[in-house]
Order: sequence, then structure tokens, then C-alpha cells
Amino acid sequence: MEIPYEVTARRDTGLYNAKVGIWLFLASEVMLFGGLFSAYVFLRVGVNDGVDTPWPMGLDVHGSGIWLGFLNTIILILSSVFVVFAWLALKERNWNVFRNWMSAVIACAAIFMCVKAFEYNKKLNHHYGIKLTDDSVVEGEIANGTDKISFEASKVTLSLQSDLPAFVGHVDGAFPDFTVMEGEETVTLQGEKGLRKWFYKKRARVSQDLAAARKEFRAAKKKGEAAQLKIVSTKAELTAVKPFKLLAKDRKVTNYDEKKLNYIDNVVVEGKLINDYVELIPHQIDLQMIPIGRQKESMVWSFFEKYHQVRPNWEKAQEKSLEKIRGHFKGEPIPGKVVQSAYINLHTIPHEDFEDTAGNHAKSEEKKSEDDPHKGDHAEEKHGHGDADGHDDHGEHHTISVPRSDIRFMGNHGPRYGNYYAIYFTMTALHGLHVIGGALVLLHFVMFGKKLYLKNPEHLANRVEVGGLFWHFVDLVWIFLFPIMYLL
Amino acid sequence: MSADAHEHHDPPFWKKYIFSTDHKVIGLQYGFVALTFLAIGFFLMMVMRWSIAFPDRAVPMLSDFPWFQAWLDDEGKVTGELYNMFGAMHGTIMVFLGVVPLAFGAFGNYVTPLQIGAPDMAFPRLNMASFWSFLIGGIVMLASFFLPSGAAKVGWTNYSPLATTTDLHFGDLFWTGQTLWLVGMVFLISSSLLGAVNFITTIINLRCRGMTWMRMPFFVWAMLVTGFLLLLAFPPLEVAAIMQLMDRMAGTSFFVPTGLNVNGAEFIAAGGGSPLLYQHLFWFLGHPEVYVLVLPAIAIVGEIIPCNTRKPLWGYKTMVYAVMVLGFLSFIVWAHHMYMTGMGPAISTFFQTTTVLISVPSVILITSILISMWGGSIRFTIPMLFATAFIPMFGFGGLTGLPLAFSLPDLHLHDTYYVIGHFHYVVAPGTIFGLFAGIYHWYPKHTGRQMNTMLGHLHFWPSLLFMNGIFLPMMLQGMAGFHRRAFDGGKAYEEISAQIFMGDGVIARAFQSLLGRTDEVLATMGRVTAEGAADHSIYLIDLNIVTSTSAWLLAVFQAPFIINIFWSAFSGKKIKNDNPWDATTLEWSTPTPPPHGNFIEEPVAYRDPYEYSVPGADTDFTPQFEPDAGDEVEETPNLTPEETVEGE
Amino acid sequence: MASSPEEIAKHKKAYKAVGIALLVFTCVTVSLGAFPIFDFGLPGATWEDFVIGLLVATVKASLVALVFMHLNHEKTLVYKFLIFTFCFALSLMALTLFAGWDPIKEAFETVRTNGFPSLKS
Repeated sequence: MEIPYEVTARRDTGLYNAKVGIWLFLASEVMLFGGLFSAYVFLRVGVNDGVDTPWPMGLDVHGSGIWLGFLNTIILILSSVFVVFAWLALKERNWNVFRNWMSAVIACAAIFMCVKAFEYNKKLNHHYGIKLTDDSVVEGEIANGTDKISFEASKVTLSLQSDLPAFVGHVDGAFPDFTVMEGEETVTLQGEKGLRKWFYKKRARVSQDLAAARKEFRAAKKKGEAAQLKIVSTKAELTAVKPFKLLAKDRKVTNYDEKKLNYIDNVVVEGKLINDYVELIPHQIDLQMIPIGRQKESMVWSFFEKYHQVRPNWEKAQEKSLEKIRGHFKGEPIPGKVVQSAYINLHTIPHEDFEDTAGNHAKSEEKKSEDDPHKGDHAEEKHGHGDADGHDDHGEHHTISVPRSDIRFMGNHGPRYGNYYAIYFTMTALHGLHVIGGALVLLHFVMFGKKLYLKNPEHLANRVEVGGLFWHFVDLVWIFLFPIMYLL
Repeated sequence: MSADAHEHHDPPFWKKYIFSTDHKVIGLQYGFVALTFLAIGFFLMMVMRWSIAFPDRAVPMLSDFPWFQAWLDDEGKVTGELYNMFGAMHGTIMVFLGVVPLAFGAFGNYVTPLQIGAPDMAFPRLNMASFWSFLIGGIVMLASFFLPSGAAKVGWTNYSPLATTTDLHFGDLFWTGQTLWLVGMVFLISSSLLGAVNFITTIINLRCRGMTWMRMPFFVWAMLVTGFLLLLAFPPLEVAAIMQLMDRMAGTSFFVPTGLNVNGAEFIAAGGGSPLLYQHLFWFLGHPEVYVLVLPAIAIVGEIIPCNTRKPLWGYKTMVYAVMVLGFLSFIVWAHHMYMTGMGPAISTFFQTTTVLISVPSVILITSILISMWGGSIRFTIPMLFATAFIPMFGFGGLTGLPLAFSLPDLHLHDTYYVIGHFHYVVAPGTIFGLFAGIYHWYPKHTGRQMNTMLGHLHFWPSLLFMNGIFLPMMLQGMAGFHRRAFDGGKAYEEISAQIFMGDGVIARAFQSLLGRTDEVLATMGRVTAEGAADHSIYLIDLNIVTSTSAWLLAVFQAPFIINIFWSAFSGKKIKNDNPWDATTLEWSTPTPPPHGNFIEEPVAYRDPYEYSVPGADTDFTPQFEPDAGDEVEETPNLTPEETVEGE
Repeated sequence: MASSPEEIAKHKKAYKAVGIALLVFTCVTVSLGAFPIFDFGLPGATWEDFVIGLLVATVKASLVALVFMHLNHEKTLVYKFLIFTFCFALSLMALTLFAGWDPIKEAFETVRTNGFPSLKS
């Protein structure tokens, strides 16, 4: 059986099957990215002034990182050109030229993904933000792994009707051995494996016991006897042989105090709280949620006064913001409205405008990073030999310590940090998946296309055209993504 | 396709029937899986109906099953949680795993290539991928029942932020039903997208010689439009699913507004999201999806009616254009599901207008089918019975939708049983009857045997009766204000009626007096409160029992159908030739069952699809594939460009 | 479609030209907020930059679609698909965006704050 119009075009439609197919597929892709762009516009336009966090400008978020976006744009455009050249080479029946151009395309895709990975890594691992209870924000780099609550645990109470508790994934260091009472005797669970095995077995038994109890209860009720439901304990208490350290993710913990950690999955961990301060090497502060004129009263300053020898210079930042506008008006008087809006738009004070408490500019060693406040590389090197639980060890590293009770929300610049980040990560990741998918298809043509080329070069040319169409579409999406995510 | 190598020897069983690329096998696979899912969805509904009818009594039979032990309460009654889970999964399974795969996947796959004279789908391997993606999606959905969290619980629409904040108390959020629903959905959407690409390409590029656009059977047209609906409407839902997945798994706040409170505590998230965005993205799919459910059924009926009335389909061209307009309009009516969201009046007016407009092409379709029966010599075969019943049932469902199209009546009817009754009339006695008709109609094509008529009657008449027994009371209850999500079937109304008097309930009183129940009778039944106040839901609460009993009896009378399918495959009456219904379309020119590659000789369409009772012809049907003595098809295998102007 | 050598050479030229144009436009885009040279309006990314940025992106996208994806000489069928798709994508974006728009409430608010126009004077 031969499917017609696989290679040659049907006369009335003028298209071969794969081309109809790819254009239909691209139509659905248009709707996919159309939906995402709609969501972007809807969310951005829908920002509620004074309630929601304002939408950041891509330029402000990425800083010097826009050059990575720029580089990626160039790479994708070049790869698009290479794809058409590869296709033309096939039309000229020149396998070697085709192979070279196509390899270049795949190399471009690889570079694109590497740059992307670099960008993600920077955002996820080196940028952190803390929103205080008065909605002022301080951003920087987390120090000493203090984004997690450290806790010395000795006893765990868990439910046997749920999943494996979340604390299992939060254990720092070697997994502890637990003891548990089974009736009269004490059982020791060896490590994580032992715990898992025991948990699943016990869970199954509890559900059986529950079922049996209910069955008995119903049977008794049916007979009209005074029935009482046998109580089956669904809780279990595990005691650690040796106290162990937990680094709990704050998203998984509902509340805690000095002695107890209540997990979201109703697991209670008892022990001793080691540290609930978050230490941060500040890069900038962000006061856009604070009413105008009240910025100086914000909570942020207190942390700088308490724990930090350098503090942001608000006046200097104001002056700088006006300076930019002065350049635009070239000496002419600046309209009052513009001055006002300059103050309104001024919400971040970058690291370069930090100075020490004596009024001098920040320390000389900090100057290296001034031109690029987002580059926290040398700061990271420094905190490597920092004290693990010393939130008072601040002077040299310029960390500030913020108690968790003063924090409304915090996180790295990952997708959960705000809707800009959410849609940035979702769209670029989805686009990245398309890049990977497209590259794999094109790679397939290079690696395994020779056979088809020898048999029917036109068939391969068609396939490459179709693959190329997809590739151009991926490029086309990026052309829109670049300005809206990196610049505007 | 290196088909030549395979034709000499029979492929092994797993390649022929399991990992097959043959559109007929894939169609049957879709069909059997979808029917299984329909049965599962029906079962969930029966448990729910028990809870509605008898909220105080333990569920019979089920309470000793291991899985139910964990979800029923101590006394064996349905819990609200279980009801919510079954409600959400009933909708999901019926729509995405039952009706769409049966209508589009099974009938579309089996019949479309045959009707246009194609050897197979344009991309056979893609077709197989589409089926397996569907199956994985379905298995993921089913598997989620067996997690500690159970399956999704927040309605088949999965509205955020409820969907985002449900089951957060599980350690690993991925292994919760709510998340797996999204994962399953992504698989199902991918399956539909691949399927749609395949269908449209096949219809555009693989039509046989002489099969011009206007010679395509109406079924093919409907499939083309359905394909476009799936192709363009599903991606926004995929976006919504991905975003909700991000909300759950990565902690984003696409659909989480600032300051959201969950269980009295502030929900820790960045905020700034919009729950409305989810609804827009969902209903952008949701409404075209309604037509994805309905169009194939209308098309099947459109095939069966001319065949059994021995008359051409009346207004074929009008129907074709109507179905295209319907497809187009269905993309811009979605927000009529959202009148209660505080949408502005300007856009609300727009959506009300388009919603009313879309009824025009629907009415054209139904009217044309109805007129096709006028003056015909009707054979009331089993498929014809189902097809005939489809018309009033679908019509009733459609007409009851009109009040919902306007925002004012919708304020009253929103989220009541009226809405449930309305769309179930469209989908259950509507679409599902259409699909039953299709199964009875094309069954001989594959098996070479007719389905048993006795069992068919035993299936049809009770089904018709009990379908109405289920959904007609819902209409009355809905107008009285019964809320669709009350797991105790409105028992709560009795308790609150002393405090809130909801209205006089004219219709309800009328209905009750028909049953001989006056206020006095109700008072003796304890249905009127101490103060003498009775809200009208009290008059109608007993209808829950009517509805539920009808539902269970409906289930009982599906047994003849199931028996019929298997029994007739071996012992049914053998058909006299390849064209047992004396039909005119191309699928009846193939051998029975059609072999791999479908046609023995290259098929040619010589005439329009529904040439029944042509004056002067020897028989009362002149098939598309039968050449006239003097008839000559153009020598070129392709069509002239002029013949392709129409079409989306 | 490219078949003869001359045509292929012509294609190559066109593709090269478009490639260069795209690179140039990319430079324009990137300088919108970052450099004074193409920074419209006040410094930084302002609404003027938005308009220009999206226009440039549209031009770039059109170039890719028309030349690289051969949409400048494609079959009518493909145009038909795409026209419908764009209609629906736009309606999704526009109708979603305007769904919250409430002119009556706006008018009501105006009257509440300013009084009826006739009464005011």
C-alpha cells in the first residue's frame, strides 16, 4: 500500500501531505503561543496598582544579561539562514553541503541551549529576593544556605494515610535511624530505605485495619446492635536514634516555633530550632510598593542599620535618576511632571549606590563588582568559608540577616518570584523545548537521511523543508519573545 | 512506507492489532477504549446519583470493595469528597476520554478514509502515536484514583485557584490527582492535536479521483470542521494546563490573585495572577469542544437518515456552509459560560449576540435533516431509530440552551441542574444516541454481520425512556434552583428553608399537584417546616429518586447492547453483500471487512454522495462508485483547481 | 519553487539579504532601552519603545514568514488556514483583554465624581 502525495504535490491543492500537515501543526502552534502571549498581555495589563507587585521592565530584570538574549537572537537568526541554505543544497543535490549547513544549525541550537542554561542558572542560583511584611524588597544572593529553616530534629509524628512525608527530602547529611514502637516492641528503621519500607507496609496495614473496623461497624449496625467503631490509630511516632539536621523548605512548612516544625502534610517534627534568619548579601533594594514619600521609613533600613556596615544611599539614587533625564532634556528645564515620574519610577537602589555607615562609598573590594551588580561571583567565593550558623558574622561579607517573622514572601528569581518570572520561565522553557525538538528532528535528517537521499532526494528535500518550516517558526516566536522578555 | 515487504506475509498479532498503523484497527482500538471509559464514567455517575437520591443510606454493594473503604464514610455513605472526585472525573472521562475519542477517534478514523476513497490516513504512524498518547492520558487519569489524594476533585473544568490550592497537604505534589489530571490532559491534548492534523491532511490531500469538495459525504465535512476545532481550540487549554501545572509544581501565581486566603491563612505566593485568565483559556477550548462532541453525531445522523429514508440529504450544500459557519462562530462564543464572573456589559453583549447567532446554523442542520425525512419511505431499522430519536433530543437540548445564552436568565440558572439538564440533553440522548446509531450502522461493514434487531429494540426503547427520565426532572429542579454541586441532592435546602423562603415555585407546585401532592400531603410527609414555609425545592426533591432510578435502569438496559456487540460478531445475521443497507457512499464499495489499503481497485467518485431514488434509475440508490454507461471521469487523477475554491 | 540553478542562486541572495536585515533589526531592538541612539521617549524603556519594539519585531517576523517560510508565494490553502488561525488567536487575545471593560460603570463613576455634565455648568 502506498500513501499518495508523499513526495509529489497534489495538483489541485499544490501541496504534498507533509506540507499540509506542518502548516496545520504550525497553526496549532500559533494558537499555543497565541494563548501564552495573550496570558502575558492579560497578566501585565491586569496588574492592580498598589495591590500587586508592579511588572518589572525586562531591561531592569536582566541588566547586562540582555546581551545573552541578544546573542541568542543572533544565533537563532543565523541558524534560520543556515536551514534554508541546507534545503537549497538538497535541491542542488549536494549532500555534503547540506550536511555542513545542517550541522551548523544543530551547533547553533546547542549554543542557544547552553546560553539559556547559563541564564537560568544565574537566575535560579544567584539571585534571591525577600519581600518584607511592609512590601519592601531586598534582593541579593543568599548566604550559607539560609533560605531553608535549619532545625535539629529528634522526634517525628506522621500520618499513615498520606504520602511519604516531605521532611524525608529535607534531611541534611546522613539519613538518621529511627525507632518506632510496634505494639510492645521497639523496631529500628535503618536509614531512608528502612523508613520507606516500614512506611509503605505500615500504611497498607493501617488501611486494612480501618477497612476491617468499618466493616465490623456496618455489619453490627445492620443487625441493629449498638455498634461502636473501633478506633485505629493512623498516626505514628518516630524517634531518631541520634538528633539529625533538617533544612526545611519554607514552602513545605506551615508554621514553626522553637521546638516544633509543622509540615504542610500534617507531619510534626519536634526538636530544636537552629536558625530562622535568612542571610543575604544585598545587591539592591526595591521600594516600589512603598507609598511615595514614605520610602525612608521602610523596614529595609533597619536591617541595614542593625547588621550591615554599608547601606543604600537613597539620595544618591534619586540624584542619579534625575541625572539621566537631565541628559535627555539637554540643559532645558525639566517639566515638573517628568521629575515626579522619575521619582515614582525610582524604585531600586543598586549595589553601586551603597555606601558604608561612615558615609564613604562601599569597600574597595566591592568595587570590582560595581559595574555589574548582578554578577555575584566573587561574593559567592567569599561566603564559601563563612560560618554555617553565624548570622552575626556579617561584617566582612556584608550580609544582612532578616528574621523570618519579618518576611512575607521570599524566593530565588525562579518562576515563583512573580508573574514576570513565571511567564518568562514558562515561555522560554516551552520555546527551549521546541528548539530541542526541532534540533532532534534536523539531527535525524543529517544522521539517517543519507539512505533516503540516495533513494529519493526530493523526498528528503521535502522533509527538510518541513523541518525547516518548524525551525523558522521557532525563530519567529523568539523574535517576539526577545523584546517582550528582555527589553520592555 | 515500505509496505511491499509486508504484504507477502501476515504481520505478527501485536503488529496487526496492537501497534497497528492501519486506520481501521486504530479506529476500533479507539472505539473499544472509549466505550470502556464511557462505562467507567457512567459507573461514577451512578454512585453520585445514589448519594443524591439517598444521602442518608449506605451505598449498596460497594462499601466492601477495598478502594471504596477509604473513601466512603464509616457508615458506608458517600462523602462529599468522594462525590466531588466522581463529579470531576465523570465530566473529564465522559468528555475527553469517552465521547470525543468515540466520535472523532473511532468513527472518524474508521469511516473518513473509506468515505473519501483513501488507502489510509495521510500519516499512519502519527495516527498510531495519537492513539497511544490518548491511552497514556487515560491511564494516567485512571491511575490517579488510586493515589492517597484520590483523583481530581474540583469539577471537570478544574477552575483555579481552587485547583491550585487543593491537596496541598501532600508531601509530593506531583503525585496528587489534581496534578495528574493536568499531566493526563497534556497527553490527551497532544493526542487530539496529532489526530486533527492527520484528519485534515487526509481529507484535503487524499480524496480519490472524482471526489470533489462538494461530493464529499456530509460526515467528512463534519470531520473536517471538527478537526479544525480541535486543532485551534485545544492549544489554549494546553497553555492553561501548563500554567496550572506551573502553579502547582513550581509555585507560580498565574491564577493566584494577591492576598488569596486558603483555610483562613494567607496563601504564600507572589500573587498578581488572575483566576479569570484560566476560565478564558479553558472555555476558549470548552465551547468549541461542545461542537466537537456534537458535530460527529449530527454527521452520523446525516448519513443514516438519507440511507433509511431512501431520499437525498435535503440541503446538502446549505448544511456544508452551515457547519463551516458553526465552526467559525464556535470560537467566539466562549464567554457565555462566564456571565457570572463579573464580565463587563459590553463584551457580555458581544457574547450574547454571537451565542444567539450560533443557534442559526445549528437549526439549519437539524431542519435539513428533518426535512430529509419528509415524504421518504422510511425503514425503521435500529440505527434509524436512534438517528430519529437524536433529532428531538438534540433539539430539546439546544432549545433549553437559549435562556442560558442571555446573561439575565443565566444569573438565575447558572450552576443549577437546569444547566446540567441542558447540556446532557445535547450530549447524552443527543450525541450518544448518534454514536449508537453509528455503531449499529457501520457494524456490518467490519464484521460482515448485522447486529441483532431484537436486542437492538431492547436497547433503544428503554434507553430513550430512561434518558428522559434522567434529564427531564433536572430541568424542573434546575428552575427551582437546585445547585448542581450539592452532594446530598439538595437535602440542605430542607434545613435552610425555614430561614430562607426562596420563592413560590409555580412550576414545582404544578408538578407536585400532578402527582397528587398538595401542601397538605407534603405537610403530613414532614416536608413543610414548622413555620409552614416551604421553598419550592421541597416539592421537587423527590424527583432525585426518579432521576437516580432512571439512571440505574438506563445502565441495566445497556446490557443488551454489550451482549449484542459480542454476540452478533459471531452469530449475527450474515449480510447479503458488501452493501447491506443499499447505501451510496464509498465505504460500502470495499470488501467486508476492508483489507489493509482498503480498496481493491482504485476508487472513483462518479456522482454526489446521496443519490437515492433517482428518477429513471434501476434501483432506489445510485452509489457514488457506480459508473454510468456514458459516464467518463476526467483522465487526470487530480481535480481541477476550480473545484477546490470552497473549504476552510 | 527553486528548481533551476539560477533560481537557487537568486534564492540564496534573497536569504542572505534577509538574514542581514534581521541582524540589523535585532541591533535596533536591543538599543531601544539600553542605548540613547534608538531610545525613544524618556530614558529607559517607555511606551514609545514598546510601540517601536513591537513594530520592529513584527517586521522581523514578517520577513521570516514571507521569505524563509515562503509565505510570499504559497498555495491559497495555506493562507486560508493561517487567516482563520490569526483571527482566532487575535480574538482570544482581544476578547480576553476587554472582558473586564465596563463602560457603564466608568460612566457611572464619572458622574459620581464629577456630577452630570449639564448640572455642573
